[in-house]
Amino acid sequence: MKKKINPYLLAGLIITGFMLLVTIIGVFWTPYVPTAMKYGKFQMPSAAHIFGTDNFGRDIFSRVLKGTATTFSIALLTVSIGAVAGTLIGAVTGYFGGFIDDVLMRLNDALTAFPSFLLALLIVSLVGPGKKYSVVLALGIVFIPSFARVMRTEFASLRGRNFVTQARLMGARNGRILLVHLLPNTIRVLLPALTIGFNNAVLAEASMSFLGIGVTPPDASLGYMLSEAQGMLASGPWYAIFTGLTIVLLVFGVGLIGEGLQAQNRGVD
Amino acid sequence: MKYVLKRLGLLLVTMILVSFLTFLAFQLVSGDPAVTMLGTDATAAQLQTLRHELGLDLPFLTRYFRWLGGFFTGNLGVSYSYRQPVWNLVSSKLTISLCLSLMSFVLIAVISIPAGIFSYSRTGGPLSWLRTVFNQLCMAVPPFFTGILFSWCFGILLKIFTPGDFPGFDSDFAESMRHIFFGAVCLAIPRIAMTIRMLRSTVVSEMNKAYVRTAISRGNDRRSVLMRHVLKNSMLSVVSFLGQTLAELVGAGIVVEQVLGIPGLGRFLVASISHRDYPVVQTIVVILAFWVVLAGTAADLINQAIDPRLRQGSRS
Repeated sequence: MKKKINPYLLAGLIITGFMLLVTIIGVFWTPYVPTAMKYGKFQMPSAAHIFGTDNFGRDIFSRVLKGTATTFSIALLTVSIGAVAGTLIGAVTGYFGGFIDDVLMRLNDALTAFPSFLLALLIVSLVGPGKKYSVVLALGIVFIPSFARVMRTEFASLRGRNFVTQARLMGARNGRILLVHLLPNTIRVLLPALTIGFNNAVLAEASMSFLGIGVTPPDASLGYMLSEAQGMLASGPWYAIFTGLTIVLLVFGVGLIGEGLQAQNRGVD
Repeated sequence: MKYVLKRLGLLLVTMILVSFLTFLAFQLVSGDPAVTMLGTDATAAQLQTLRHELGLDLPFLTRYFRWLGGFFTGNLGVSYSYRQPVWNLVSSKLTISLCLSLMSFVLIAVISIPAGIFSYSRTGGPLSWLRTVFNQLCMAVPPFFTGILFSWCFGILLKIFTPGDFPGFDSDFAESMRHIFFGAVCLAIPRIAMTIRMLRSTVVSEMNKAYVRTAISRGNDRRSVLMRHVLKNSMLSVVSFLGQTLAELVGAGIVVEQVLGIPGLGRFLVASISHRDYPVVQTIVVILAFWVVLAGTAADLINQAIDPRLRQGSRS
């Protein structure tokens, strides 16, 4: 793998690395107590409070740190559920084909008739709104079909390749072929799909929390904070601006990674 | 023609399947509507009367077909929280949501197709990386954040419109359209970026094909090959992509309606979910799903008109 690293990929990794660092710091340490209401209402951003304070006199920077951690972790968990289950389904349907393939793919088609965001809303409202795990569960389920579809195409196209036949001739069992021979070859498709999935998860979580159906206090997520901030636009617009920009930066960084990965794939082909 | 009929038949089957699944799901979760409406301290006789009034004592399939027929007769049941026929509540909101989605869709199509072609013809310039980065940045901006920025900038600072105070088409058409316009722009920004990116990469891969090389070797210049052959071939994926976008706008519109206070279907849906008003929720869900299926069918039919190869039924 001696090739020049794609500049988009590099920039994306730097931004995302920075966000990850901030997230990890936010879990253990914040400059002020995020829920303490004693720093003066609607302070403009200053050296002491770099993002200013809100209507209760809470330090917005500390809240954004906590919120980023919540949003980041939910998106990561969601994508993991979607990717693992989707890869599993994609592998089984793409590699073996046949009856299971037909049934699961028709089910997939029926599911895509519902806008994914709507589906997530419905699942949350059925499981019980306002809990962190129900958001993760709902979004995770909603993301399975897209991963399954991508991975199915990939496994199906790899199935007939010579190295698979070779492996089978040498007596490798299906499980081994799938895990050792095929899975590593799907990485180049899986990685960009993961970045897109992560961004969709961030946006979907933020949207749901914004609507008050996702994460609710005391857990602060960026989406919920934006909905809070909307009510304070007239007196403290910085709350909305900084919170929103954090989401933009998070999605932007991961988007650049995806762009870079795809550019590198094109270079390889 | 045969293809069109087949596609429409498939559409009908999908719609019935989708509505049936939705109806079934809501039957399973919603419990007894009579208890919900009258409260737990109602007498058994009262419950029985109400159940009879609502037609709940009928068999499941009868109720399903009655409800499905309601999309034609306008009788879709009664809302729990408003005690009004669902159709009366939903129909005006449907118009507003349709306006929002369609206006946004027009913006996307009108801006992104020329911009995508332009962006291709300038590939490799010194600023091409800047365009890619800008494109990624636009994709990263969530519509509800744009909505908040718009309501701050144009609403509070410039006072072009009053966010959250939607007058309705009848009382103040211009003000209503301003709301919808700003909402449409919020929805359009990330999707314009996505469409441009998608169109560009389609054109790039199409330009590498053998027929383009042949055409150029025969003395055509790249530009005319692009305009006369490549674009037509690229349109297929663009139409599919735009069909998908049209479908997604409905879901994305839910949040934008909430941000700008546009009383459309999405906003009503969120309110109804939190009130557990299942007859309303299930109707809106089915309307939105129909919309998605219709958008997909429309895209298929347009593609089929563009490319006769698709009419043979075999996918190349």
